[in-house]
Amino acid sequence: MILTMWLVLLTVILGIGLPSAAAQPAGTLVVGLVAEPVNLDPAQVTDLNSNRVGRRIVETLVTFPDESTQVVPGLAESWTVSRDGLRYTFKLRRNVHFHDGTPFNAEAVKDSIERQINAEHPFHKLGKYPFANYFFGNVKAVEVVDAATVEFVLKEPRASFLAVLTAGAASIVSPTAVKKLGTDYALSPVGTGPFKYASWERGQRVVLEKNPTYWRFPVKLERVVYRPIVEDQARLTELLTGALDLIVGTPPDYVGQLESNPKVTLLKQVGAHVWYLGINNQKKPFDDKRVRQALNYAVNKEAIVRDVLKGTGSLSAGPVLPKTWGADAGLKPYPYDPERARKLLAEAGVPNGFSTTLWVPESGSGMQSPVAMSTVIQSNLKAVGVNVALQTMEWGAYLAKLRSKEQELFALSWMAGNEDPDMVMYPLLHSSQWTPNGPNRALYKNEKFDELLHQARLTTDDKKRADLYRQAQRILVDDAPWIFVDHEIQTAAHVKRVQGFKLHPSFDLRVETISLK
Amino acid sequence: MKRYLARRLLLLVPVLAGVSIIIFMVLHLSPGDPVEIMLGAQATQEDRLRLRADLGLDQPLHVQYVRWLGHVVQGDLGRSLWMKRPVLAEVLLRFKATLILTGTALLLSTTVGLALGVASATRPNSLLDRVSAMASLFGASMPSFWLGIVLMVVFALQLGWLPASGMYAPYGGGDLPDLLAHLILPAITLAAASVTIIARLTRATMLETLGQDYIRTARAKGVVERAVVLRHGLGNALIPIVTVIGVQAGYLLGGAVLTETVFAWPGVGTLMVQGILARDFPLVQGCVLVVALSFVLINLAVDLLYAWLDPRIRYE
Repeated sequence: MILTMWLVLLTVILGIGLPSAAAQPAGTLVVGLVAEPVNLDPAQVTDLNSNRVGRRIVETLVTFPDESTQVVPGLAESWTVSRDGLRYTFKLRRNVHFHDGTPFNAEAVKDSIERQINAEHPFHKLGKYPFANYFFGNVKAVEVVDAATVEFVLKEPRASFLAVLTAGAASIVSPTAVKKLGTDYALSPVGTGPFKYASWERGQRVVLEKNPTYWRFPVKLERVVYRPIVEDQARLTELLTGALDLIVGTPPDYVGQLESNPKVTLLKQVGAHVWYLGINNQKKPFDDKRVRQALNYAVNKEAIVRDVLKGTGSLSAGPVLPKTWGADAGLKPYPYDPERARKLLAEAGVPNGFSTTLWVPESGSGMQSPVAMSTVIQSNLKAVGVNVALQTMEWGAYLAKLRSKEQELFALSWMAGNEDPDMVMYPLLHSSQWTPNGPNRALYKNEKFDELLHQARLTTDDKKRADLYRQAQRILVDDAPWIFVDHEIQTAAHVKRVQGFKLHPSFDLRVETISLK
Repeated sequence: MKRYLARRLLLLVPVLAGVSIIIFMVLHLSPGDPVEIMLGAQATQEDRLRLRADLGLDQPLHVQYVRWLGHVVQGDLGRSLWMKRPVLAEVLLRFKATLILTGTALLLSTTVGLALGVASATRPNSLLDRVSAMASLFGASMPSFWLGIVLMVVFALQLGWLPASGMYAPYGGGDLPDLLAHLILPAITLAAASVTIIARLTRATMLETLGQDYIRTARAKGVVERAVVLRHGLGNALIPIVTVIGVQAGYLLGGAVLTETVFAWPGVGTLMVQGILARDFPLVQGCVLVVALSFVLINLAVDLLYAWLDPRIRYE
């Protein structure tokens, strides 16, 4: 009986003929993601894959141009900031509609933000908002002045507030849709963006259709299909056979192969990201600045970027992305100088080195190749007498363990989403952000540095602000609270029919600029 | 027979309860919690405590378990912490894809395994026997994720005959030929190890059976060789083989996790992996429960098959 079943199967296959891995229907772009989105409401997710899809559907008041992370108008046409830095007034674009026909206006802006921070708001219970405190804890009220004017009132000034409003969490959602869909809103969101939600088959694909009345420009694609493919080789094969048009996050080992393949184009773009080896600044012997500097001299960052990352990283001299407005152009990365490292260790009273533990997650968003990178660091440190025991952990377990404050050395990264120094320095290094209250897991504290960051938040003049950040960075590099390693160079590869695509420094995946040949 | 069946079905209850307790403990006692992953690195301690309370994760373990069990008894596996959708609907949807994959793999491993085993047993030490022994060794020692990638590189990348991953074409498609084309590579990958086990066992049992007196009698009576081997030989060798096939079915269900991940197959395995990484307790519990239930049911089906294959076996 089984045999006959097989015969039937075979005949069916041979009779009908196998469909070849043919190109997609006209106007359909197929994108390979490294994991499936969690949900599509950017205010309710923290992962990159969800954001990359969800942010095609919803938009923010202010946004970035296609090549940088400097703030430009989005759903708001213009804005003014009160002299005391406490009131941000936005003039909204008129005649913009959500995909469900609801007009975009000041009420929608108010609802979108207040659902996250106001426990009394009718939408509050419909979701979990991970950024409510982090981004909007400082918002006292969102006031509707008239249909096309909205005002944010802050509890205390925060000069980076416009940068905050570019975040996915600040997306403006259709209030009608949230009311109608309830908790399911997160699975099929409604916004003003270039694409609208069409369908989602779990584990297989998310399909977005073009918004034919998009206010900014006519969208050339008919639809985008996102497929989650976890296995690197499978994603690569699908691209090379033309079943996928675009992939992001190519593993470093495949970069050379893609670069030399005439069928695909490989793109690279440094992102607002930093990969660092955190040092517990409160534990002996790391509480001595000279020891931390020694560790920085001991690590061969060039070798890591060249051999492990295959060029998908750029050397880091600190947390701020080089060549952005807040960066100090005078700062150079610590050079690789094991001799100097040994000398500093001797000065610090540990001439024969010491033993320590390095915690490393096996993988994680923005972590690049954590284990391979940490292994190089381990051997570099051994060369100057520091014996490092490597302890690898699964991401979820790792995050929990970092709250114990028992860490000595730990590998971590941060994607700020934009280039404002406040978005990376304040959370990771200000002493008010010590874990478990914030993400300062190196337990770094320097009063002068704290004060500079605080002053910068109160300063609305961008030139003065940049100057304060430069001073802060110089302190930081001297204090060396981390081993500064690299800023990720994102990679994407697409087949030749894809035209007009650029990687964005914010790690967003702006497929709306694409047309298909 | 009916009483036997009833008794076996009743036994399901303690088995599933045991499985659920173990998986509950393993999940909750392993480091890391869902709140950490849901809220991300920037969350404050206050955020985390609030969400833990919202999700009921601040309750003692036994209270959480009893509450969960109370819902399960009413057929409610809860909502996924992470996808915010009812677990049962989600798991059943994905289980269909897993069944298609494991069903095909089982069919493949059984037919190929039986055929190889019988052929080797009828001509021991022949070239076919040796090649099959070699191939078996190879098949059994290859990890499925490696075999999967090799097959993918050869048949999808180099030859371009078959799609590399997924269950259907990205857009359009969705018909039977589309499904079959996507099914071939993962099914072969999943079946490889089972084929060898079934083939080796069939060979051994068949060799023993073919040495029996009644086989000689059958041959002496002039029964055609085909009938001797298949009806008298295989028919009587089937009991241990069926047992192993039953075990293999369970193994394939579990082993599907790796194969599904390699080929981006939208089954319960990939769902479970996502669930574990996100510490989505209700989701993982739901997946495990459904897999465990099917494992137990397969075993029951195998036991019932015995009686049909060997009329001497009676269940009282």
